[in-house]
Amino acid sequence: MYEIWLTLNILFELGLQYLPEVIGTALLWAMLMLFAATRPGVGWRQGLVPAIAVGAIVTVISFLVTPGMTKSSFANMGYWVDWMNLFFYAAAFGAVAAALAWPIAASMYRTA
Amino acid sequence: MSDKSEACPSAAPANGRRRFLLGASALPAIAGAGLTLAGAPAHAALKTSAHIVIAGSGLGGLAIAARLSRGLDGAKITVIDRKEIHNYQPGYTLVATGIWPVDKVSDRNVDLMPAGVEWVREMVAEFDPVANAVVTDSGRRIEYDYLVVATGLHLDYAQIEGMDVAAIGSNGLGSVYPGPAAAEATWHAMDSFRRKGGSALMTLPATPLKCAGAPLKMTFMVVDRLKQAGTRGASNIAFHSALDNIFSVPRINDEVLRRWAELDIPVTFNSKLVAVDIGARRATVANPEGERREIGYDFIHVVPPMRAPDAVMNSPLPWQQGGFAAGGWLEVDPGTLRHRRFPNVFGLGDINGTGKGKTAATIKKSAPLVAQNLIDVIAGREPSQHFDGYTSCPLLIREGSALLVEFDYDNRLTPSLPMIDPLQDSYFAWIMKYRLLKPAYMAVLKGRV
Repeated sequence: MYEIWLTLNILFELGLQYLPEVIGTALLWAMLMLFAATRPGVGWRQGLVPAIAVGAIVTVISFLVTPGMTKSSFANMGYWVDWMNLFFYAAAFGAVAAALAWPIAASMYRTA
Repeated sequence: MSDKSEACPSAAPANGRRRFLLGASALPAIAGAGLTLAGAPAHAALKTSAHIVIAGSGLGGLAIAARLSRGLDGAKITVIDRKEIHNYQPGYTLVATGIWPVDKVSDRNVDLMPAGVEWVREMVAEFDPVANAVVTDSGRRIEYDYLVVATGLHLDYAQIEGMDVAAIGSNGLGSVYPGPAAAEATWHAMDSFRRKGGSALMTLPATPLKCAGAPLKMTFMVVDRLKQAGTRGASNIAFHSALDNIFSVPRINDEVLRRWAELDIPVTFNSKLVAVDIGARRATVANPEGERREIGYDFIHVVPPMRAPDAVMNSPLPWQQGGFAAGGWLEVDPGTLRHRRFPNVFGLGDINGTGKGKTAATIKKSAPLVAQNLIDVIAGREPSQHFDGYTSCPLLIREGSALLVEFDYDNRLTPSLPMIDPLQDSYFAWIMKYRLLKPAYMAVLKGRV
């Protein structure tokens, strides 16, 4: 339990370090959601597939570029813990990308 | 000629796009974390009118101030320290090896001081535990009911003849410990050295050290920087330890020595740096018999002997006998961190005369424990918490990889998560050191973890 609490605190402090970017991204997502939600006939369900696809693509790209962006490389992946850590790091980028893509994709699937 | 003006090419600040991406990636988890943190259950505060003085406003002083201000209702808490800038000391090795820009390690202390805490911007000059009082360097006498000594330690460069801290960065002189400017200057010296290669002399004194892994990290990173510059073949690196080991935990000691043998880094034991001629780039080492020998170098990393600050050393608070007496280290019980002769005094961090524990990780584990033990004592109970000596060292072994070493008083390796292999070269350990430990440090400082 302590490690979970510590992890949550690390993420919280990390967010404070990047607060303008975090707020900017949250506002952008909120505006996209508001824009989509106020348009008639938006295809939320149909928008999920392309949003997930965008998220998957961003995850893959993030997976490939993150070691270099953190002054490391794939040569430094020592064991499975490293690969798992990198995957979750990349998946976090992918999740944000999917969240941003969802209202856009949903708006493109309007039926009305 | 000074090397200080040379550029620091590997330490460029993160660009805007990278910052945006990093911030965005943390968004969902941060939102969750924020909700969780906001909803954290509060423990009932103990009502008291006690006056608690905390000497020092480093990580230990601020962490316990934050915890006590929440855990006590009605107490007067006074922090005594003149320091206006709070430095993230675990980042010094990153600055000194060209990984981080220097501005990442400094924050304003005023922004970190917990609300409701009285901050006396002076230094404790005298401890008078018999009279339950401290005297500041302005002559002000402050009485207390309970005292937490969190002064940190003194870097005793004066024990090295010819050493001049102001000269760090010039003439191949490096030393990571004094502060951010020295760490940055050390990188300038190392960067200049790696371009041509030559002889590097790495040192280790015989005293207890804060961040005892730093001399090892600097050694690994010198090798890595030489390799990157293509000058490793034209260089030799020698490590001189004033002890008969290089690290107090045998398994880590053996592992590092094994790696250094592979990296062609010879180690000379029982060889203590006693003098340095900065202009001539010559060092003098001495063995326990007092025989002295001069060694020329192109780059030297000086690790100073360390001891308690004068105010503690010249007070009744240090150990009176045993191995910690010479350094003036605080006489605390290693389990409770309560003073052995003055029961209303506790120690926290580097100042403690204990077998292990002069790192930020030690504060992470011990600050909550000392806070609870102090609250127990104020409530009239015996201390309920026991410290196992936990400390941790993300040991940089090259740019991009580290070992995440955690251990306790008994030299047991104690990884926080069972899947962590402390002897495995690891990107995860690197990312902890490079990106995640400062956020963890800030959470400790705020008394949340």
